[in-house]
Order: sequence, then C-alpha cells, then structure tokens
Amino acid sequence: MLANARVLNLEKLTASDYLLLLEEPQFAVQASPGQFLHIRIKDSLAPFLRRPFSVAGAPPGKGVLQIIFRVVGKGTAVLSQAKRGTSLTCLGPLGKGFKPTPGLSPAVLLAGGMGVAPLLFLAHLLAKEQKKILLFYGVASITELLPLKRFLPPQVELHLATDDGTSGYRGPVTALLAEALQGGLKPGEMFACGPRPMLQAVAGQNRGWNFPLQVSLEERMACGLGACQGCAVKIRQGGESSYRMVCCDGPVFDGQEVIW
Amino acid sequence: MVNMADLRVRLGPLTLKNPVMAAAGTFGFGAEYAPFFAPEKLGALVVNGLTLRPREGNPPPRLAETPAGMLNAIGLQNPGLKIFLEEELPRLKSGRVAVIVNIAGESEEEYVILARELSAVPGIIALEINLSCPNVKQGGLQFGTSAAAIAKLVSKVRQACALPLIVKLTPNVTDISELARAAESGGADILSLVNTLMGMVIDVDTGRPFLGNITGGLSGPAIRPVAVRMVYEVYRATGLPLIGMGGIMEVDDALQFMMAGARAVAVGTANFIDPYTVPRLISALDVYLDAKGFNGPENIIGAAHR
Repeated sequence: MLANARVLNLEKLTASDYLLLLEEPQFAVQASPGQFLHIRIKDSLAPFLRRPFSVAGAPPGKGVLQIIFRVVGKGTAVLSQAKRGTSLTCLGPLGKGFKPTPGLSPAVLLAGGMGVAPLLFLAHLLAKEQKKILLFYGVASITELLPLKRFLPPQVELHLATDDGTSGYRGPVTALLAEALQGGLKPGEMFACGPRPMLQAVAGQNRGWNFPLQVSLEERMACGLGACQGCAVKIRQGGESSYRMVCCDGPVFDGQEVIW
Repeated sequence: MVNMADLRVRLGPLTLKNPVMAAAGTFGFGAEYAPFFAPEKLGALVVNGLTLRPREGNPPPRLAETPAGMLNAIGLQNPGLKIFLEEELPRLKSGRVAVIVNIAGESEEEYVILARELSAVPGIIALEINLSCPNVKQGGLQFGTSAAAIAKLVSKVRQACALPLIVKLTPNVTDISELARAAESGGADILSLVNTLMGMVIDVDTGRPFLGNITGGLSGPAIRPVAVRMVYEVYRATGLPLIGMGGIMEVDDALQFMMAGARAVAVGTANFIDPYTVPRLISALDVYLDAKGFNGPENIIGAAHR
C-alpha cells in the first residue's frame, strides 16, 4: 500500500498539463479506473501533505502508471519539476473506483478539464467489454486540449467542447451532452469527472434523464485512508444523509446520491 | 549487540509497553492503519473523539494545508457511543490493542454518562477527556478554558468511573499551567497536551474563510515549539505524568517532548504523511536509548529540568 514509485518520465502535454509515468509494478496491476495514488511530492514542510492523483492509465504488462496533472498550486508546481529516476512515496491504489454494469451500453463519459484523467483509464476497461463508448470532453480553450488520441482506445467516439469555441462545440460540455441526448442518444450508463459545478449540473439534468450516473469527486485530503475524516461529502441514501469520505467511500459515488 | 533498553513507561496508574501513542482523531478506530502494521505495536491507540450521540461533523472543506502543518475542522464526526460499543470496540479488542477512548460531551452529564458506560466494558485502559476540541461549539472547549469548570467536570467524571483519567488540555489559553492544576485538583491521573491551536485561512479568490467551519485547529511541526514549551511549563506546575504531542515527525521531536517532561508522546498529523511513523519512532527510540547506554525512557524524561 505504500511504495516508492520511480519517475520514469515527465512530459509536458500543454502549457500547464503534464504526463507523469511512475514505475510501480504492483500498483499498476492492482489499480482500477477511478482509484488514485496519494503522492508525497517532496519530503518537505511546504508542500507538506500528500496529494491525491487519479490514475489515468496502467497499460497491461508495463508495470507503469500514468498520471496526468495540471499545475494549479505549489504542490503540482513542485511535481512538474520531478526528476527522472528519482522516486516518490505513494500510497495506493486507494479508493473505490468506477463500476461499469455488464450489458449497459453505450457508455457515455463526461469530462471537464483534468477530470478526463480517470475516464481515460475507464475507457480501456469499457473497450475490453466491447462496449460502445462516447466521450464528451470540455475544456476552457483549445490551448488546454490534451492529446487524447494517445491515451484512448481507437473505438471511442470523441465529442469536444470549448468554452470559447476555439475548437469543437462552443459552450459547456454539459450543453453539448444535453443536445446529443435531445438528438436521440440513449446512454446505457454515464460516468463523469470534472469541476464540481459541471458535476452538479449533469447530476441536476440527470434527474430528468434518469440514466445510471457515476461521478468521481475531489476534496482536500490528509490521510487518504479514512482515518482523519477530512474529505467529507454529503451523501443521501435511503432517505438519510450523512458525510462520507471521498478517499475511502469514494471518490466515485452514485450521482443521484450526492448532495451538492 | 544485546537489546538493553526496556521501553515500558509508567504514567501514574497506567503502564504502556512503549511511550509512543497514536493521537485521537488521526488514527480512526485503528482499522485504517491495520494494513500497514499491527495496532498492538502502539504504546496506546487513542481512538477518534467519541460523543454520546452520533455526530455528523462539520460541512466541507474540513482541511487546509498550511506551512509545516494543516488546519482541520472535522467537528468530531463519530458514530456515537452505542455503535462504538457494538461495532468498533469489539473489532479493536480482537487485536489486543491498548485502547484509550477520547470522550467529548455537550454537557457535564454527557461526559459522566460516557465515562460510566465505558468503564463498565472491558478492553479500555483509560479515558481521555477531550476538553479542547476547537471545532464544535459543544466540543468541550467551553469547559476547557476555565480552570473552575475543568476542576468541576473532572471531579464529576472521576466519581463516575474507575478507569485512569487523562485530561487533554487546549493551548488556546493564556496560562496552561493554571488549567493543568485545575485538572489535577479535580482528580485527573494524567494530562495530555497540546490539542490543536485555533487558526484560520482565507480564500483570497472569494475573500471568504476557506474552511466550512470558518476556523480550524492547527497541527503539525508548525506548532511543535509551542507544544514543547507548554509541556515544559506544565511539568513544573503539576506532579502529574504528561503525554506530549504537537508536530512529532521524527525521534528527535519525541525526545524533545520527553526531555521537556512528557512520559509518553502521541503522534497525530505525521500519520497522514507516513503511516509507519509510530513503529518507526518506537524503533528509533530503542536505538537511541541503546546508543546512549540508557536502561529506558526514564533516563531522559524531564532531562531539560535537571
């Protein structure tokens, strides 16, 4: 559960997005889509705590995990300077990931920005199950567009949205999805990851659509194991609501059960 | 070389197999860290703050990282006494763990009920009275900052239970020694210090407090010098055995607390960084004592006062 993962490579994908390749054969075998690694970026007092990163892929037989991250603060800025050959202590793979239901097709994946990372991993699992897969992917602008073709199985049908219209549909990715549904798309089930407002929007719309929807959430985390009870999210189940932990009860939750 | 040092320590009525404990609120009910090491290795496990009724906890965000530390405002989320007795405690006992239960009441009566009920079940070696949770209105802090209220509450709990009583003190006061003496006069057997320092972080994008609870408790190496100073002061102010905590990451940090007068130490935030911190510190303490030719922790406890 705790391992020293070797930094095999760090590659800049866009102006502020990176692909980190970590060698940790056991984690690579164990990891399932939606799970995360809790990484000590540096043995320092600032940044101090571990940071959770969802696994973007673990190509079979390679012993390597792909992490895609954006520099958003001090921790990720330090990570973007990680040196090849050094190692990072990682807890993992942690959390409960996506659970595709056999027979439900097509699978519709909804990604906002960096939220695409765990869905790339999920796409490979779904492809193995011979499902039809559609990925609705939204970013702010063409400059943030990740080279997704490199990471996706070939059969995935990609639908692109940018807020500023510099590529694909102009507007929020949730609007693009809504249009596709109006146009006759009938998802067997949906999987979403991205900024909270996007997830909240799709969960709200889904009250009318009523498709099975799994969402992957993010919260500030300390232990990553459920002990500190820091990463709380309110969940309603059977008429009762309570705080659950993103790290161990999630990060993937039933979209209908999250209280936003 | 033969292993010479005996790590056992006595704290008043309590004897621990070693002086390194896991602090309340950082180790859950033990199960979360079981994949890393057997919890019976711990000098003692202080379980998450327990209240009479279940507590939902505070709205998120509950955590904020700070330089050399973190703020938390969990709000004592816990399943309540009944579920603890039925589900968590049996699981803990199965591992032969030295369990200390941290209790928080909303009133004196609740503390008394918790103490009475918990002293009636086997498998608990002591109670830690939480007088100092800064994150809930009724987390004990309203008792924990007044000497008179501490003395009164501790004496009531004392009468209700036969278990060794640890009183956990808050650092959010002008004179912690006064509170330590009050706890002693109320009948405390042991004092633990310090709880977190109250703090806050503002989100500059929104201009609003970052934490859902507005304020939170600061922990981690950032507070260590404050905590060491308070242990040093309280050691002089009372005759009670002390458990020291506040930002312990390495064995030298634990040694500082022990030299300041703590007979045992508790590790909190460091568990989040390295789940193996407690067993690592136990081994390192053993190595240190052997290297110095000491028989046990007794040789260093209170050294700073000699």
